Amino acid sequence: MADFSGHLSLRAATRADGRTVLARQSFRAPYHLSKPYWDMDAKTLLVQVVNPTAGILSGDRLESDIDVRKGAALLVTTPSASRVFKMKSGTAECRQHFTVAAGGWLEVMPEPLVPHRGCRYRQSTRIEVEPGGELFFADLLMPGRVAHGEAWAWEKLCLEIDVRLGGELVLRERFEQTGAELQALAELAGSGPAACFGNAVLIAAETDADQAWRDAVAALHGDGLWVGMSPLRRGGWSIKFVASDGMRLRSGLRALRQVLSMRFPRLTCDPRKL
Amino acid sequence: MKSARATSIKPRSSRRKEAGLSTGTDSYAWIGSLLQAGDSFYPTGSYAHSFGLEGLTQEGVVRDHATLEKFLFLSALPALRRTDLPLAAHAWRALEAPDWDRIGEISVLSSALKTAREARAAAANIGRQRAELAAVLHGHPLAREYLRRATAADWPFSPPVSAALEGRVLGAPLPAVLAGVYYATVASLLAAAMKLLRLGQNGCQTLLTAAMRQSAADIAAATATPFDEIGWFNPWLDIAAARHETADGRLFIS
Repeated sequence: MADFSGHLSLRAATRADGRTVLARQSFRAPYHLSKPYWDMDAKTLLVQVVNPTAGILSGDRLESDIDVRKGAALLVTTPSASRVFKMKSGTAECRQHFTVAAGGWLEVMPEPLVPHRGCRYRQSTRIEVEPGGELFFADLLMPGRVAHGEAWAWEKLCLEIDVRLGGELVLRERFEQTGAELQALAELAGSGPAACFGNAVLIAAETDADQAWRDAVAALHGDGLWVGMSPLRRGGWSIKFVASDGMRLRSGLRALRQVLSMRFPRLTCDPRKL
Repeated sequence: MKSARATSIKPRSSRRKEAGLSTGTDSYAWIGSLLQAGDSFYPTGSYAHSFGLEGLTQEGVVRDHATLEKFLFLSALPALRRTDLPLAAHAWRALEAPDWDRIGEISVLSSALKTAREARAAAANIGRQRAELAAVLHGHPLAREYLRRATAADWPFSPPVSAALEGRVLGAPLPAVLAGVYYATVASLLAAAMKLLRLGQNGCQTLLTAAMRQSAADIAAATATPFDEIGWFNPWLDIAAARHETADGRLFIS
């Protein structure tokens, strides 16, 4: 089976009429781009990144670079879950780099990652935001092919994220548990055998009006969903959520976006519009 | 051009120093001072923190000896092995020259790895107190210079960096410094657990003993951890710590 060295490069910028457009785009299989959609109400350009192959396979090396310029607003999503298939040998790797200029808005909200039995996958995400830029990034992880009775069975999974604001590191996370370790933690917490994870980062300047939506986020906790939100070192928040299953994870993320849209109206952009 | 012999001698000597092996002139005076720095009597302020444990008890996750034991071995020790111990190891090495740029980088990384505000604030307060004590009690120029640079550059204070600083000030080898971090972390957590749960002193000492049996392997793994592989988190602990910030009632600051 052929290895892919996938590449995606996008630059979002504003036109004279204020609309966001893709001022630059370049991609190579397995990446493909759907036709962008301009959401008039949310004033955000919606782009779906499609992987037309079955999923991520051994030997895949995926690189993406998405740049949002001043005044532009972009939502990047995927139409379906990203499956990481079993690997007899070798590994797969994905490197993501997102940059947001002052006055720009970027939302990155792919469908969940589904690591299959015996896969070895590493995902490195680097986010760089200029002061005055805003970003919402949400990464979702399923424990495996739960409907097939397969969960927590990956061989190696490493998800890394670095967030810099004005060049300063404000968040670094490295998620490298084995399936057995994470399953044991899920059992301890009572989240069940199909626990799913959401890890979100919100970068925006804090204002006095933030308490209302922060209280609303905290109120999402319960009924099979754990939610916690805490300020970063500066300039944003970490929002983590754990759900008892995939349905609850998705409904939790929808509710979270709805609450956050009180303060960040671009989150009203419907990622399923296309 | 350096000879092969010249290039091979230095690393071996360096490894002996790192392992704390006597070179014939070393003394072991640091042992008593390191015990002092790891004692609950040492005023670091850690007694006021539960390091997220109170949040997990409020969520009903940790509720007795059995669940505390699971939390210790599934969460607290892996976090030590993959985060605080490697940070302290890298800081101890950087303080030899010293490489102040590297110390600044480690300090920022140490803070950025803690996503919950209370955990970050607890670390900053304890780290600051440890560093100031190292300067005040020992009057060592390295500690004074660290404090000067940390203040000037606004580095976040970090318990692993301060522990490495203590180790350098006292002349303690790296494994001993990391053992001190290991003991102090587990002992502080279990001391908080005794206030939160129905646990006896013997029960806590049993857990502490079991944890310390694992320390040699964890310290060896941490010592070999590359800088860009530092980091680990338990999502439930981070969520509970975030929720603890707005808890109606609480015993501990974190």
